[in-house]
Amino acid sequence: MLDTITSVERESRANLLTLEEFGAESARIGREIADGYDRYHIDINEVDDIDPLPHRFLVKVGKIGLAKFIAKEVLMYFPHFDVIFSRPCTYGVFSGPVGGFAPRPKLCVGCLRCTVQHPEFVKVLPNPKMLALGDSYTTHGHIAAIDEEAKRGMVPVRGQGYRGRFGGPGFDGMLTDMSEIVRPSRDGIHGRELIGTSVDIGSKPMHLSFDQNGSLLGSVPDMFTIQIPLVFDLPPGDLGSDALAKVIDSTSSLVDTLACLDAKTASRLGMDAPNIVPVLAVEDAARASEFHSARLVELEGWDAQAFEEATEATDAMVGVRIHFDEGWQGRMTNAVDSGAKVIHLLADLHGRDPNGTFVSGLFKEAHTLLIDQGRRDTVTLLGGGGIVGADHVPKAIISGMDAVALDLPVLFAIQGRSRGSLKHRDKVRGKLPKKLDHDWAVQRLVNLCGSWRDQLLEILGAMGIREVRRLRGEFGRSMVVKHLEDEAFEGILGYHGGEFA
Amino acid sequence: MTIIRPTQTLINKTTHLMRDGLNAHAFGEFGMPEALGDARWTDELILSTWYMAETGEVPDNLNFKTGKSDGGFDRLEFNYLEESEWLGHSEEIDTSLPLNRRGDSKNEIEIDIPWYGGGMSYGSVSVNVMMSRALNAKRWNTFMSTGEGGYPNELLQIKDNVITQVATGYFGVEERTIKASPIVEFKYAQGAKPGLGGHLLAAKAGEEVAKMRGSVPFVSLFSPFPFHSTYSVEDHSKHLDWIETVNPQALLAVKVSTPHDVDMVAVGSFYAGAHIIHLDGSYGGTGAAPEIAKKNIAMPIELAIPKVHKFLQKEGVRDKVTLIASGGVRTADDIAKVIALGADGCVLGTTDLVGMGCTRCSNCEGGPSRRGCPWGLTTTDVELQELVDQDWGSKRLNNLYTAMQWRLRDILRKLGLSSVQDLRGRTDLLKYISKELGE
Repeated sequence: MLDTITSVERESRANLLTLEEFGAESARIGREIADGYDRYHIDINEVDDIDPLPHRFLVKVGKIGLAKFIAKEVLMYFPHFDVIFSRPCTYGVFSGPVGGFAPRPKLCVGCLRCTVQHPEFVKVLPNPKMLALGDSYTTHGHIAAIDEEAKRGMVPVRGQGYRGRFGGPGFDGMLTDMSEIVRPSRDGIHGRELIGTSVDIGSKPMHLSFDQNGSLLGSVPDMFTIQIPLVFDLPPGDLGSDALAKVIDSTSSLVDTLACLDAKTASRLGMDAPNIVPVLAVEDAARASEFHSARLVELEGWDAQAFEEATEATDAMVGVRIHFDEGWQGRMTNAVDSGAKVIHLLADLHGRDPNGTFVSGLFKEAHTLLIDQGRRDTVTLLGGGGIVGADHVPKAIISGMDAVALDLPVLFAIQGRSRGSLKHRDKVRGKLPKKLDHDWAVQRLVNLCGSWRDQLLEILGAMGIREVRRLRGEFGRSMVVKHLEDEAFEGILGYHGGEFA
Repeated sequence: MTIIRPTQTLINKTTHLMRDGLNAHAFGEFGMPEALGDARWTDELILSTWYMAETGEVPDNLNFKTGKSDGGFDRLEFNYLEESEWLGHSEEIDTSLPLNRRGDSKNEIEIDIPWYGGGMSYGSVSVNVMMSRALNAKRWNTFMSTGEGGYPNELLQIKDNVITQVATGYFGVEERTIKASPIVEFKYAQGAKPGLGGHLLAAKAGEEVAKMRGSVPFVSLFSPFPFHSTYSVEDHSKHLDWIETVNPQALLAVKVSTPHDVDMVAVGSFYAGAHIIHLDGSYGGTGAAPEIAKKNIAMPIELAIPKVHKFLQKEGVRDKVTLIASGGVRTADDIAKVIALGADGCVLGTTDLVGMGCTRCSNCEGGPSRRGCPWGLTTTDVELQELVDQDWGSKRLNNLYTAMQWRLRDILRKLGLSSVQDLRGRTDLLKYISKELGE
């Protein structure tokens, strides 16, 4: 430190700079660097619905009862028109041109003041069309949340407490930790403004080696960085279309992430860009050479020969998509042995393998397998299947993934509709909005990314974790409801272990 | 900005209709409203709470004990004695709870029921709601907390039953209110949004609210997380020392949420000087919180209580501190289960609001109308806040507490216990209803 100051002074004198001038120049350079710093930001903007979800509630008003009530009010309160024309709804359900004779259920939030005040002629009912959305895993609640997040790009905030079941299966049985006093940063209001959500895709050496001159020995890390731990996956089932591919392409470029697209579609549409990840069938591995700008291509399944062909055909990293079916551990190991730096793991869309094991356990197994092999950091793990809520992202990362892949949320963010079960990727049936406006759809997906990133920041901020990379595999910062129940209820008559292992 | 105040005729009409409606539904005149309730607060729980607030008695034909959340309190029941061994139902069954167990020279406070009212700030609720709760607290020789939004002058007349809360934004914290309070509560975190701080949305920060909080009207007000002066348990101790200096007699309560190391946090708070450790579980209420926080961050209170109780026992300090639990405690049965799991008592929030007509529609933060609660509870809107008057509100809460105390005594007598304090940590009196048996 003393040497440095001395040398600065000497240099300053030699160049006729006083110490004050040197300070000013240093400050100027510092300011230039600071001004040139571009903090990552997702540009959210509220967008209108083009195919709104069904209303949450139906409002039924008995016309005769209402007419009698109004007549009574007129007799009782004339000429107090403020009283006569007052409505039992602060949300405007009865504020249309003819009031309660033509209620506007789309404005109803279910406060039930109307039906409590006027039970003789007003009823509020849950809308069965709303309740019928989705399936047993991706529920109407998930779809409504995604719709709101894609519309506004905000973190959904509501009053009152949690309304759902205690714990539950899958991700519902996992809780994230918090810290009473430790923060990622003391800057800003909550300290979350400086939390990093960028993720490295590719391979890092497990250690660095240098020669006697201090030069790096061996290869440099082979990786690139995306700004959010979310990538867009292949649209499942019959949802793939050119229009949707273009929307996903534009969105992934705007938010600086990746879009996995069928290689044939990408090729036909001329999509060759750093944000595009062409997904190649193993028999088409050599076609990796068609994508000059791609940083990553993926092979659909593990095949040693195809992997070699693809690797020879392109300078991009070659990732391997591995489904959680019988023998996936061996296929993953073989792929990594052969040099795969990205493994994209896939459960079904309910987040299960064929044996019913949930994806959090599967992700954890993959993560720990690589740790046991002593090479976790040489591989990036992407995980997909069952990710349909913002809370699933940190939970998947805690379970060992570097980043997660979005499939069904894309459909619901752009107000598409599904039919039947959403369990099997290849059997998903749905439809996109009839008039899919490109810019509108892109903004919806951008909003979804913004909202989910902000919700990830909430979780990280509460935990006191400064960057999402440090969340990976942090099982100790999660809690499993079953384990907590075992600890809390041990010894209580009739308790034989929690329901959801 | 011109504020148009509602006429008294309008207020009278609306409150008359609302109260008649609450009464009619409580007595089941119009059946079960189909859109009412959720897994935690079922339609029957809400209507039974209304019934108790109307009558002071528990209902015969509604489940007033449990919800349908499939876990926690809703899968626990009491393992009652044979009927021949039950005690008689009597006011002699003691429901009181001492709050100072340290044996120091500070206030010796004993409340008549093992619960008090949780913090709801001025701004998140109106003065009418605060006063309704405070008047009821006085009637029951218990407490209600100001929450973090200042101490409206009206509360000073009931200061002996009001807890001043000091939270991370220090909104409305003044020496005079610290001096006025028998108990001062430090809120480190809130169960519904642990680690996230507080947020009063701009629409609810009206002129009076802003004035009380030392801000300007209609600007969002953030309570940061955490205390920016606290990095360690030593800093926490320094906080408590500050209050002790201002009000040497005040009991010190520390409210924390339920991370995996909540047991360590509790012990740290005890050694820092806390008389009351208040655990707020993740299913608790809030005026506004990110939906992602409500379920996913930290643990439900049912799972935190035994962990802390056992750890305090292991440390040999369990009998020197009062352990209070909140966050999803809804009924007298829940209160008894909280105590059987190891707490001394609990804090109620949502239950009070449901008693005054809340339907849990979740629009407390403002909702699409941006005016706050349409029932006049979680709002400072000039018209809506008039829907709850202090006399009506406090009478409903008095009735509700009467029924809840009756039910608590009913549970105790069926367990053969003559004091609620004997129930603490008696997990041997509980039984778990597995899914197969429960359905």
